[in-house]
Parts: sequence; C-alpha cells; structure tokens
Amino acid sequence: MRVGVFFCQFNPEWSLALDPVIKYADNLPGVVLTRQMGIKPKPEPESLAELIRTYDFERVVIAGDSPGYFKPLFTKAVAMSDLNTEEIRLASFREHGAEGADAIDRAKAILACAVFGVPYSLAAVPKGGPVHHATLVIGGGIAGIQAALELANAGKQVYLVERTGTIGGHMAMFDKTFPTLDCAACILTPKMVAVAQHDMIRLFTGSTVEYVNGVPGAYRARIKTRPRYVDLKACVSCGICSEVCPVKVASEFDAGISQRKAIYIPFPQAIPNVYIIDGDHCTYLQTAGTKCGVCEKKCPKECINFQDKGQVTDIEIGNIILATGYDILDPTIIPQYGYGVFPNVITALEFERLTNASGTTGGRIVVKTKKTSKRTGEEEWIFDAGNPPPKNVAIIHCVGSRNKKYNAYCSRVCCMYSLKFSHLVKEKIPGANCYEFYIDMRAFGKGYEEFAERIREEGTFVVRGRSATVSMNGDQLVVKGEDIVQDKNVEFPVDLVILAVGLVPARGTAELCKLLGLKRDSDGWFSELDYNGNPTETERGGIFVAGMCQGPKDIPDTVAQASAVAAGVLRSISSGRGIGHRSSLMLSEIEARAKSIHTY
Amino acid sequence: MAIRVNPKLIEDLTSFGAADVNMCYHCGDCSAVCVHSDELYRFPRKSMRQLQMGLGEKIDTALEPWLCYYCGQCSDQCPREANPGETMMSLRRWLINRYDITGIAGKFFRSKKTEILTIVAIGLLTAMAALTYHFFRGSIHVYDGENAFLPSLLVHLFDLFLGAFLAVILLLNAGNMWRLTMLKGKEISIPWWLYLKEFLVLPLHFFTQIRYAKCDTGNREKPYMPWIVHLGLMWSYLTMLILVMVFLPFLQSGPQIDWSVHIFGYLATIGLATGLVYFIRSRIRMHYVQYKKTHATDWVFVILLLIITVTGIFQHIFHRLGLPVAANVTYLLHLMAVTPWLIRMPFTKWAHLIYRPLAMYFSEVRRSAVALEQKSEVSFRPVLQTI
Amino acid sequence: MKSCRIGVYICSCGTNIAKAVDVESVRTYAEEQPDVVFARTYKYMCSNPGQEMIVQDIRENNLDRVVVAACSPRMHERTFRKALQSAGLNQYLFEMANIREQCSWVHEDPVTATVKAKALTRAAIRRVALHEPLENLTVDMSPRTLIIGGGIAGMTAALELAEAGHHVYLVEKQDHLGGNLARVDLTAPYLDSARDLITDRITRIRSNKNVEALFNSRVTEVKGFVGNFTAAVKNINGGSDNPARELSVGNIMVCTGYKEFDASRITHYGYGKLPDVITSFEFEQMLKRGRIMTREGKTPQYAAILHCVGSRSQEFHAYCSRVCCMTALKYVHELKSANPACYVSDVYVDMHAFGKGHEDFYTRTSEVKTLFLMYEKNDHPVIRKADPKDDCGMLIEVNEKLSGEVIEIPADLVILMVGMEAREDSGEIARLVNISQDKEGWFIESHPKLEPVATTTDGIYIAGTCVAPKDIPDTVAQARAAAARILGRITKGKIDVDAVYSEVDETICCGCRICNNLCPFSAIEFDAEKHCSHVITAACKACGVCVATCPASAIKGRHFTRRQIFAQIEGLMSPA
Repeated sequence: MRVGVFFCQFNPEWSLALDPVIKYADNLPGVVLTRQMGIKPKPEPESLAELIRTYDFERVVIAGDSPGYFKPLFTKAVAMSDLNTEEIRLASFREHGAEGADAIDRAKAILACAVFGVPYSLAAVPKGGPVHHATLVIGGGIAGIQAALELANAGKQVYLVERTGTIGGHMAMFDKTFPTLDCAACILTPKMVAVAQHDMIRLFTGSTVEYVNGVPGAYRARIKTRPRYVDLKACVSCGICSEVCPVKVASEFDAGISQRKAIYIPFPQAIPNVYIIDGDHCTYLQTAGTKCGVCEKKCPKECINFQDKGQVTDIEIGNIILATGYDILDPTIIPQYGYGVFPNVITALEFERLTNASGTTGGRIVVKTKKTSKRTGEEEWIFDAGNPPPKNVAIIHCVGSRNKKYNAYCSRVCCMYSLKFSHLVKEKIPGANCYEFYIDMRAFGKGYEEFAERIREEGTFVVRGRSATVSMNGDQLVVKGEDIVQDKNVEFPVDLVILAVGLVPARGTAELCKLLGLKRDSDGWFSELDYNGNPTETERGGIFVAGMCQGPKDIPDTVAQASAVAAGVLRSISSGRGIGHRSSLMLSEIEARAKSIHTY
Repeated sequence: MAIRVNPKLIEDLTSFGAADVNMCYHCGDCSAVCVHSDELYRFPRKSMRQLQMGLGEKIDTALEPWLCYYCGQCSDQCPREANPGETMMSLRRWLINRYDITGIAGKFFRSKKTEILTIVAIGLLTAMAALTYHFFRGSIHVYDGENAFLPSLLVHLFDLFLGAFLAVILLLNAGNMWRLTMLKGKEISIPWWLYLKEFLVLPLHFFTQIRYAKCDTGNREKPYMPWIVHLGLMWSYLTMLILVMVFLPFLQSGPQIDWSVHIFGYLATIGLATGLVYFIRSRIRMHYVQYKKTHATDWVFVILLLIITVTGIFQHIFHRLGLPVAANVTYLLHLMAVTPWLIRMPFTKWAHLIYRPLAMYFSEVRRSAVALEQKSEVSFRPVLQTI
Repeated sequence: MKSCRIGVYICSCGTNIAKAVDVESVRTYAEEQPDVVFARTYKYMCSNPGQEMIVQDIRENNLDRVVVAACSPRMHERTFRKALQSAGLNQYLFEMANIREQCSWVHEDPVTATVKAKALTRAAIRRVALHEPLENLTVDMSPRTLIIGGGIAGMTAALELAEAGHHVYLVEKQDHLGGNLARVDLTAPYLDSARDLITDRITRIRSNKNVEALFNSRVTEVKGFVGNFTAAVKNINGGSDNPARELSVGNIMVCTGYKEFDASRITHYGYGKLPDVITSFEFEQMLKRGRIMTREGKTPQYAAILHCVGSRSQEFHAYCSRVCCMTALKYVHELKSANPACYVSDVYVDMHAFGKGHEDFYTRTSEVKTLFLMYEKNDHPVIRKADPKDDCGMLIEVNEKLSGEVIEIPADLVILMVGMEAREDSGEIARLVNISQDKEGWFIESHPKLEPVATTTDGIYIAGTCVAPKDIPDTVAQARAAAARILGRITKGKIDVDAVYSEVDETICCGCRICNNLCPFSAIEFDAEKHCSHVITAACKACGVCVATCPASAIKGRHFTRRQIFAQIEGLMSPA
C-alpha cells in the first residue's frame, strides 16, 4: 500500500506540535510521502493531482484538527489523477480528542489508524476489568430518573444522588410541555414515585459526590449528605412546622417569585415527600439554638433534629452516569432588556412557575404590582392572584443565546417553549396580544413545526427580528424592535416581558469535571466520546453522560439519551467487563490492533 | 422585475473597510438600538443586507449611510461581531467614491500607495515651484514684503485658484450625489418647492451637526463628547479655511500680532490640535468599537492635518520671533502639506463635510415628498424637528 | 350479594380539579352511597401522604374496596394499586373515577362539573363493589431479538445487544449494511468521516458471532406476543418458491429508516428537467467521486443550495426534516473547499442550527462569505434557465425576506435539500408488527416524551428515522435506548402478564371461531379436539372485541365483566 500523508490545519489557534507526529508518520509502513500543508491550505488541485500521480498513491491520508474541511479538495485532486477516491482517509486529531497531556501520542495513534485504513474508534477499544453491578447516577432530573429506572427495572442496584432536597429537576417546575401541552408534573410524578418505591434504587437527596476513585468497572465513591434536620422516615409532611416557622425566603422551586419558609417542602409531590430545614436561613441554627426552634416544639411526630450532622456514605459501583442538567443564564448581565430594573420583565422559568396551577397565583397569569411588605414594611413588586392580567405580552427569544458575548450556542428549547407561552397566555387571558421576537424559529422536532403553525393561527404576532431594547415610557413597558419580514420598525407597549433565557451548564459542572477527569467542550458542557458515533460515553471508561449536561436537549431527546446510557451500563454488566479508559491505551496497542483488524 | 444579486460587489467593498458584513444574521438588534433609524430610513441592518446581496443601485442611491454618525452602539450590541457601524462607515467611503465624477476617490480608497505617491508628488511640485521662484527673485532671508521668499499675495492667489478648483469639483460631485439619491432609482416624484420648504435643514445640520448629539454613546464615552469634539474640529477647520482663503495677507502680516485676525487663528489652532489629539489617542487606544478599525485614508487625513497644524504653528512663531529663515523653511513645509491636502479634499473623507448635511437636507425633502404622496397635503415639519 | 366496605377518596389535584369541582360536596355525596364506609378529600392523592392515607384506612377500618376520584387511570392507577398491595389488599379491588381529564379540565361551569363528578364517582363505586381479586402471572421469554433494518440505528442496537452476549437477527432489505448513511461522505457539523462511522459498526457486527445478518431479506409475517414472537423472514432474491425462515424471538425492534423526498414533485424547481438541479444525495455522490461539476463538466462559478425541499410546506410535508440545514452548511464548506472561487448562495427559511456545535458551524459558514437568502415557507423560489448572455446557467427567483426585495440569484449548480419521508413499505411493517402510524406515515411511540422508543404493542420497539426525522447522534441514542429496554427485559428473563384478559368458558363455547379472526392481536387459538377456542393470555390485550362478538356469550373479559360494566353504566345514569 502506497500512502501519502498531508497535514492540513483548519483552526489557526489550534496548537499541536506536529513535528514528532510527522516524523512518526514517515516511519509508518507504506507511507511514501508526508507533507506539511500549513494553515487552511488552498493548493491548486492540478498541482496536487500531479503530485499524487507522480507518487501514484493507493491511499491518501489527510491529517489535522479538522481534516474533513479539506477532503473535497483532495478528492477532486485524486479524481483528476484517476486514482481511487474511496481510499481517502481522515486523521481527525481534534474530533478524536488529541489534546492535553497525551496529545502527541494520541495524534500518532489516530494517524496510524488512518494510514492502515481502520476507523480509530474500532482500533482504540480499551479492555476493561471485572465490573461491579451497582451504578451511580448523579443528578435527579428527568434524565437521572429515567436512567435510574431503566437500570433498576433490569434488576440492577442504583444509587441516585441529587443535590437539592427533591428529585424532579427543572421538569417538575414546568406547567405544560410542548408540543403536546400535557402537564409536566402529571407525566413526571409517576416516575418520581416509581423511583421512591423502587427496591433497587437508593436515593440520596441533599447530597453531593465528594470524590470518586478506583478503576473502570470498580469505582469507589463517597456521597456526602447535608443535614436535613428532619427525620426522613418519621415525617408525614403534615406541614405544621412550616406553618409556625417565622422565616420567609424566596422559593427556589418557584424561581424566586414566591416565598417559602426556612423549614419547607419544595413542592407537594416532592420525592422524598419530607420537609427540610434550610440551615442558612433557619433562625435556630443561625443563632446556635439561642432563638426560635418553634418547629421542633410543634412537630407532632418529633422528627425535627437540630443535631443532625448529615452523613457520609461510601459506595462501590461499576459505572457512573452524569445527569447534572443545566441552569438558566442570568439576564441581568444583558443591560438592554432591563431585567432586574423593570419589575415586569421576567425570565422564562419565572413564567413557568407563574402559569403553573400549583404556583403562587394558582396558575393565573398576572403582572407584578407594588405591595408594602407586612413584615419589613418596605415596598416590593410581587405577583398576587388578585393582580390584573397582562393585556400585551412580549416574548423575546435568544436572550443570551447565539451571541458571541454570552452563549455562542443555541439553547435548542427556547423557541418551542416561547411558542408554548403564547398559547398559555392566549388560552388563559382572552383577547391578550402576544408578540414573539425571534431570529430563526427552530421548530425541528416531531410535531414542532405543526405546533408553531398552530400558534401563528391562534393570532400570536411573530416578529422576525429579536427585539433589542425594553424601555419604560412613563409607567408603560415598551419593547422596540425591527420586524424584518414585515419590513418595518415596531414598538409595542406591553405589560409583561418574558425573556427566553438561554441555558448554561449546571453550577458545579467544572468541579465535577475535575473530580472525574473529564473534558468539557468550549461552551462548558460535558464532552461525549464521539459526537456522532458515541454520544453517550466519555473519554473515561464507564462514565456516561445523559441529557442536558452534555448539551441543550428537549425532553424526548433527554429521555432517549438517558435510556441509551442504561444500555451501555447493562452491556458492560452482562458482558461482565467494565469499559476501560480510552486514554489508558498505549500507542503500541492501538497500532498493533489497527494493523491486525480486517475491516469490511 | 427581480433585482439580480451580485455576490462580487462585496469583494470590492472590502477594500473600503466592509470586512465583517457577511457575519450578520439579521437579528435586527442594530436597527433597534440606533436612535436615528426610523420608518423611512431604516439602518444599519438594511444597508448591511443590501451590501451582502450586492444590490449596487440600492446602495448608490441610499441616503442612510450619511444619517449615521458612527456612535458605535450598533457594533457594540451586535451578537455576531458583524460590526454594522464600520459597515456604514465603509459605505460612506464607497459613496464618496461613487459621487466623485473624476474617479480619483476610488483610486485613493482602493490603494494607499496611489494616494501617498500622489500626495508626495504634489508636495514636491509645490516645493519646486517655490524654489524656482526663489531662484529668480525670492530670498530665503526675507519673510514678507519686497522679494520675500514666498510673497503672501502670490500664495493668496494660488490659494484662491485652488479654492475655485476645489469648489467646482465639489459642486459637480454634489450635483452627482443629488442625481443619484434624488432622481435615480426612486419611484417617488419630488416637487421642486419642497426643496425650498426644507432648505433650512441644510445650514442647521451643517453648522450644528445636532443629530450627532442625539447619538447614544452607551457605556463607552461621555455623552455628547464625540459630538463636541467633532463639532469643534469642524468649526476650527472652517475658520482656518476662511482665514487662509480670504484673509491670508492679514494673517501673514507682522511680525507684530494683529489680534483682530490672529485671535481667530489661535482659537482655530487650539480646536484643530485638540480634535487631532482626541482622534489619534482614541485610534491608538482602541478602547471603543468605533475606533478599532481605521482606514488608510483616515490615517493620511490625520497625519497631513497634523503636519499642517504643526508647521503652521511654527512658521507663525518663527515669523513673530523675527527668524525669517526658519519661518520660510517651515512655511514651505507647511505649503508642501497644504497643497496636496486641498487638492485631495473632494476625493476623501473630508468631503463628508458637504455630503452629510446635503444628505440630511435631501432626506427631509424626500420625507415630505412621501408624506405628500400619502395624504395630498404636506404635514409641515418644523426644521427643529429634523434634529 | 354480600356487602363490602368501600373507601372513597376525592383528589383536588392542587387546583386542577378543585377549580371546577366542589370536591367537598362530592365527598358528602359519596358517603351517602351504599357500601361506602367513608369518603375523604385531599390536595394531592398521588403524593405519598395521600397514598399513606389510603393504606392506613385499609388497615384501620378494614376496607375491602377503594375508589379514587382523581385524574386519568392512565396516570396514577398503578400508583394506587401499589398502595392497595402494600396494605395487603388485592390491587384489582380498586377503581378510579376520572374527574380531571373528563370533568374539571373540560367544563367551565362548576355546578354541572360537580354533578358530573358525582355521577362518575357513583359509577366507580357501583362498579368496584363487583370487583374480584385477580392475580398477575409471568411467562418465559426468548432472549433473542429481531432487528428490522441495517442502518446506523439497526447496527447500533444490534451491537449493544450482541456485545452484551445476546443473539440478534439483523434483517436488511439490501445486500449491504449502512442504510442511508452509507450514501453520505462526511457528517455535520465536524466534517468527520461517515464511512468510518459505518465501517466501525459493520466490522464489529461481522466479527461478532451473536449477530446473524440476513441480507436481501424482509420479514413477511410476525406471530406471537412479547417474549415469544415467531417471525418469518424471506429472501427477496430467492423468488417465491424459496421457503421463509422461522425465527423465534423475544423482542422485535423496527429501525427501517426513511426515504428522501422526490424532488420532481415540486415542478417549479425543474428537477429532472434542468440538468444542473440535483438533490442532496446526488451531490454526496459528486463529493465521493470528487467531481463537483455541471452536466457539461464545467466547475460551477455560482452554486445555490435550496432548503426545505418537500419539508415545512402546505402541499407536501408539514414537518421539518431536522438534518437538512446542517447538511446544507456542510455543503457550503465542501463547495468552497473543492473550489474556493465559487460563490455559494444558501436559500433557507429558518436556519435550524440547534444541536451541539451547530451554531458555531453556522457562524463559520458566514465567515467563508456565504450569501444567505431567506424565503418564507409556502412562498417557494422558482428556478429557470438563464439567457445565453448571462454569466450563469440558471436563475433562481426568490421573494427575499431579509431585504424585502424580489431578487434573482445566479446559479450554475442548484442543490435541493430534499427532506425525509416515511418509507413506502412503512405501512406494511406497521401492520406486520401491529404498531400505529401518524398521518405522515411515521411510527407512533407509546408516549411522545417519556416513551420515545416503546410502542403500544409490548415487545415491539422503534428507533431512528422511522419514528421521525433525526440526526445521527439522536438516532444512535434512540437505538441504544431501545436496546436498553430489551436488555433490561432479557436480564430479568421473565415477563409479567397483566391479570386483565379475556377467558373462554369452554362449557359454553360452540366453536364457531368468529372470535379467532376478529382478534386484532391474534391471541385466540382454536383447539380442534375440544372444538373450542381459547385465549393466549400473554398476548391478550383485553380489548374486548371477542367478548362483544361471541354469539354464545362464552367469552368473559376479566375485570370487565358484564355485571361490572352494567353496574358502572347504571351508576352513571341513575338520577342523583
């Protein structure tokens, strides 16, 4: 086999010392020519063809950070020289993770595979040791729940670790889900209950993973559970404690638009359905027991224990599933929308809670009005069921998304949930006007385009052109923008502005990455092993990613990926061998395998 | 009839500074933040669109680029760093080239080599002329009066001649601008009397540049700062121009200072100096988006003006100190810069001094014409409302 | 008839029910009903304390029947049945009255809504009195799996199962694996090799003894039920005489993929008439052969890419095909790579760059000076031949939305981004394995969100682009998801069968066999000796067709007996 290797760099910033790789390529069997083409080379196809003809290659390898960008050029040249265009191979250093400490060796291995005409993913298969049957799932959102249930239903032990006081994640906060508009809680809570009831799932709420060590197939992890101060078994969530608690703080579950007590239950269907004390705000704990403590006195089942120190649990597992989800971008960093300045400019999550039947207004969509707080006596803007409903609502898409200054990426779900908002507003407030300011209407999923059509027919004004400014004209909110398709400037007086804020990796993602030795992509999401071929595994053996933490996803895609992850785990368990680290492979091993494999 | 898109046009405009226009994905942010963008004149997005698609005629007949003072707000907001402000700037350069009947402007904008060589050549010619005169009668030791090295009367005549030349070219180009923007490619008819009705707009915006004051400087610069500096520079320049064109003999008289004339000179000089410093400083620090890119012609503009100012100051000082030789040498240098500067005026950025107020004027005329079309009588829009 | 002790529980479901139904008056009304010991209301019956309430009542007041008036039984019947079990009561001694979906959500007037809620509750009470304790049973299953379709989805699923050590039959209609992906050169958005993606899988499949790939084959018949299917597979080249092969499998997975939209159906694009108007797949061929050129062999100076061909349109397909946008952007880069001097116009509706790395890819496409032109859907561009004096072969007339101008675009090569549509034989497959399709022909999942790969027929799974258009990562994920389900079941080894099915009373059955052919799940066999029919309990879905049709009333639907149903109807009808 006469092979020619061409090194082409696509990204000017991409830095990998090519010289050793080139030297290595020169000594590979069959390689008759290696050439360094430089950054974004644009050689004349004719001269390239001439070169190929003179050496009369049987295989051409293009190597670089993204060699695919040069394949059409080389294919053209190969075709011109009447050689076999089937025998052009790509050595994609970046796609196959040639970065960091072992970058050079990894690059060599990738190159070797290309030269031998073997897919890297086929040659670089690490051998794993014996595998432990239990699995650790980090994150109790819909992804974590789904993955846990898949495994538990297959009769495997699962440890489900959730940072907050309840599982359910963001999905539990939503009112309806697009495009079917079925109530999120109604389809989620049965699964949450199933988790609680399942014998094979051990649930750790208010807990985090402190460390993970060991080898693929036989990991050891320490789970640190924060004190809950309430007895998980004894509490019947009668709610007396909460009634008597004097402390009020903004409710996380209600996205801050309502208040909860210092001892509280996140929401009625919470799992575990047990109250929890917020140590940072509880008067008793803050004053080291000198003040308050009334809940302890009033609790009929005596299940409040201020001495609770939390606990530490060490577990042994074979595989780890990451389902840590996302947070929403804080729009205060984007001045022109006036979030935090104008009270009736709210985030999508706040609106979800506002329109939710179990929300603070019982599902009535209203505007904030100024009320004097009984407790502090100072004026505050609050949603109250008695407030007037908004007559005009503006929904601004891509807030912080598709923007080089904030999130360069698209958050994938905002278009659809924004359209859903319009529907909800029009359904609940007859005669209300909704304005959707968008750039591209990304309705790509099953039934999404049809949904978008339906919303248009319902009379929502869709303005092609993301509005730039929200301003105050007297006491009237005004949204100013350009309607590009209608070819005019628009300026709408509105009562409520909903910001379709983008999604960002959940806080703590970076720490978790360090903890597990994982890679993150440029946007901060966990990196999968191979974007197309292997979207659920990672560089580290037996560590899988599911749902949003790998990149924005809607619910069906999240659920599918979560189940898919279970397949990987079950495969490794029933085959009896864990999945090793790809990074642990020696160059020589990969080389040898690549040589030996006969591809079809 | 469908308009043919021309993807090649953008390549030509790149040499005028429109580098990032392809990055625009039309979210509309820029148009919405711009205080000058309104229903009739919507920019910068729309202008960027015409540029992306290479709609040559639309671009050539557009007034929008002149309505923009480049406060930088749009470029600051742009989510894709498409730099709409810079695009408007490069469109202004493009239009200066399109209005110019001689075609010289285009050559200057497309190649800095051509421009610099021309300037040097003219400068040398001036020097030669002066030296030839000196060879016959002028003496380096005499500054004014009998056999002066450069008799002010002579220079004055030369200035007047240049001024005339300049005025003619500018008038022709302005006419061309009118033809392009008001006659060509516009479906609406404009009755002549509207030009009278809106006439006041022209002096108003020429002398005050009041719309620049409206620009939203965002969190970049002190409000009104860019406007004040720009206005100061313009006024100082104008004063200088008038002094040189009309009162040169008095300006050159001396050695004792004739306050009645020189006071204006001093004020103007101060204005020019400040303006130049502000300009150069901001271009070098590049703190704000609107100063990040500087076209070659802009640099030439500043540097020439700087030389002129400095040499001007010195020849003035030397003359007053009674050092004829030094004064004459600096004066010669001064003239070597002034001549090409004056000749170059109608073909470069400088021309916007005329084009911008004209555009404001024309745009208001068109606005009334549109109003006229819509409802048979004109809604009279007081001149101050055009601010 | 012996009396029983019924407990009735009315749920407010937060405000979902309480907003339209006066739950308190429903409670007092329920307590007046015969056999009802007491009735209670609660905010969320489905929540733990709600269930706890039931369990305690059963224990303390020895209830033997429970009625919960709440949401749809599809939602929480299982939850409450579990509660009964944990209280030691048979789970079938329970009935649910749906006063949310069927009442509070559909009625505005609280008065009538409350009346209806009462009637529904009363009906449930009457019915539950007649309930009998029933037991679920389990049956053995085959660990083998049948996968229909050898594309990326089929191959991925096959490997998941095979590498877990389970036998897989992979049935492929063509003579090779790879499906539509085999026709693609590079993948978006990283321009990675599609060939590597396939070669990797094919090689692993060929070298894995657990996978048996059957080429040129199609499934002609599927019998049986979850855990115990028998499928007949025929070789299509072999002609009619060659015998079908009988495979016995426990689960079946359908990943038959998609076919591309036929561009010639859109006349104003001139596909088939204008030689240089080609489809995306034809362009992939050009890329593979390294010959991007017009029919006359000229390198195109102007290339145009047209999005949403057959997708997002009134007359063809309403849906978005999901992958075309990114593929189109990929083509831009590929055109520029092969011919940097080429001017590329991309004519789109909305740029769907939603996935990981997609927006970045879109941005980079702008960097290479692509002219993006936007048209409104259903306002399609028109392609026509250019005049000889023009410097281009064709002209595309577009009502361009971002400029508001009607423009024409020069083009020498036009690439139509043809959308995905359901395969012509999808209907046949659906009938074979007994799953349903939507109006576009895509297979319907049992729940669009939480069950994206399961179907309404147990043991039949769907994955990839036969469910709806999808890109590669999402397809791979779905394939693995389905594999996970199957793996889970195989690892457990047994299958639970619901206690609700129909029974034939052999003493009454006259053997007329009407029911045999009517059963939509072919769950009724005929016993020749006894000369009577009998039901395969594990296959029976308790639809009740046989019960209704049996002329001798010999068939009884367990848990849906005549007495129970009529009692329910009476309860519903009798005046309050």
